[in-house]
Amino acid sequence: MAELKLRAVKKMFGATTVLQDISVEFAGGTVTSIVGDNGAGKSTLCKTIAGVYHPDKGEIELGDLKLTHLGPHETREAGIEMIYQDLALAKQHDVISNLYFGREKTRFGFLDQKAMTENAQAVLETMGTKLPSLTKPVGLLSGGQQQAVAIARALLFSPRVLIMDEPTAALAAREIEHTLDLIKRLKERGLIVILISHRLNDVFAVSDRIIVLRSGMIVADKSVHETSMQEVVAQIMSA
Amino acid sequence: MFAKEFLRDINKTSLLQCIVFLLAMCLFFALNSSAFISPINLCNILTASSVIGLMAVGATFVIASGCIDLAAASIMALSSVTCAWAAQNLHYDGLALVGIAVATGALCGLTSGFLINFTKAPSFIITLGMLSISRALAFILTGGIPIYGLEERVTKIAEMQWFGLSLPALIMLGGMLVGYLLLTRTRFGAHSLLLGDSQAASEAMGLRVPLLRLAIFVLAGCFSGLAGFIFMARTNSGDPSAGMNYELTVITAVVLGGANLFGGRATIFGTLAGVLCLGVLQNGLNLMAISTFYQTLFIGIVLILASLLRRFGPNNG
Ligand SMILES: Nc1ncnc2c1ncn2[C@@H]1O[C@H](COP(=O)(O)OP(=O)(O)O)[C@@H](O)[C@H]1O
Ligand SMILES: [Mg+2]
Repeated sequence: MAELKLRAVKKMFGATTVLQDISVEFAGGTVTSIVGDNGAGKSTLCKTIAGVYHPDKGEIELGDLKLTHLGPHETREAGIEMIYQDLALAKQHDVISNLYFGREKTRFGFLDQKAMTENAQAVLETMGTKLPSLTKPVGLLSGGQQQAVAIARALLFSPRVLIMDEPTAALAAREIEHTLDLIKRLKERGLIVILISHRLNDVFAVSDRIIVLRSGMIVADKSVHETSMQEVVAQIMSA
Repeated sequence: MFAKEFLRDINKTSLLQCIVFLLAMCLFFALNSSAFISPINLCNILTASSVIGLMAVGATFVIASGCIDLAAASIMALSSVTCAWAAQNLHYDGLALVGIAVATGALCGLTSGFLINFTKAPSFIITLGMLSISRALAFILTGGIPIYGLEERVTKIAEMQWFGLSLPALIMLGGMLVGYLLLTRTRFGAHSLLLGDSQAASEAMGLRVPLLRLAIFVLAGCFSGLAGFIFMARTNSGDPSAGMNYELTVITAVVLGGANLFGGRATIFGTLAGVLCLGVLQNGLNLMAISTFYQTLFIGIVLILASLLRRFGPNNG
């Protein structure tokens, strides 16, 4: 399984440096959590991998493929899926349109609504996701259901890398369990899973490795067995 | 094939209110004027709506994508001028003239789209600029005097009829059909609506937003150009002052049809219904010999009434 590598990645917004000299590798079949205070640069790091932002310096590679200058279209083609903190859903559109957002199935150049509907139903069923309606605007679903749509969309095309930015933020306790189970199953399938979460309980429940980000720099990078919740909290907070 | 999606559109937008409104108006005019309901008059309504209708198809895509095109009517006027000029000086006719008009519109749309992408300014501002520029070009090209007296082979285009419908009406309905297929059956149409729903999500999901927006404005330009051709054929002139204020009429029609002015939701059924609402209103008031001052007043009232009705519909938004 190919590795995802970042080498000396730097990202600036205007004059402020948001990511500094980030060098890190992610291996398949592992769950890596990125933790850090608000504004530490977690979302920016993930969006840079996903091609929404481009690094000002440094390189990003997935196996032999250079991702540094690619946009979200190409990174998705390469098998990188991201679940965005704000979910990146089209709220007035139905579930099917959101699942196939940017990857609509066509037949003779025309949308193949039937195939998309059937496939979507099958995928949602295997994921154990229950939604009241596939034709209702996504904005009318509950927060947890919207999150389920975003997760299903990320998994629909069997990605190699899954980046999840606060995927449990809007979920109820039972739904969180469900999502953590899913993460474990994806790991077993050999995916590279990157998880951002504020909830250290979740982080410790599923991660193999924990990276602490502070002011755009990696200040700790340890296997979950070599660290503890107290240590991580201290690393997040210490000035 | 249409029936199922028609029902879905009714569910999804305020189309139902628009249709109820349309039927109510038809009933009102039918009771007040015996001429209204005659087949010839109904065909006249379609013919009279053809210029607005074609522009409205393009505007549906622009509005679906979360933009506004204030230049549509000026581009239509400029296209009517270039088209009439080509008819008079190059002795083009038929499809070649359509080509000139559509190319003029496409070029203007391309410019608007490019400038919106390049400056990242709101489409409202850029197309307001293009409104002035294309109108001015039309005046400069003609020296302010409409190009009249086109050869008969050009003017007879507007008089051709099939199945009792004039060619302009048929072209408008054809344009609606093309717009319908593009909007509901192609990735281009789906992406236009998705872009209008959330630009950030569209970018994150890998839609090529600048290219998409460019295509949308080129398409709208093509429809304005085609409308310019129809205008020229119907009035027998290339008129730089053609369709003053039509840009707002077009937006009114699309919004009447249930489209979300801020993007993400629009249907061609709705646009057709909106165009017909305005066409019926104008025709009915004409038949009742009510002055045009009042017609403008009524258009305003209709738009506001329709917005009120929408609050009590299946989805109020
Ligand atoms: N698009 C942007 N433009 C300018 N500054 C940004 C942008 N996105 C994030 N930032 C800034 O970058 C820093 C890191 O933000 P972010 O990556 O969202 O942090 P986190 O996800 O760890 O809370 C913050 O100071 C934030 O204000
Ligand atoms: Mg964040």
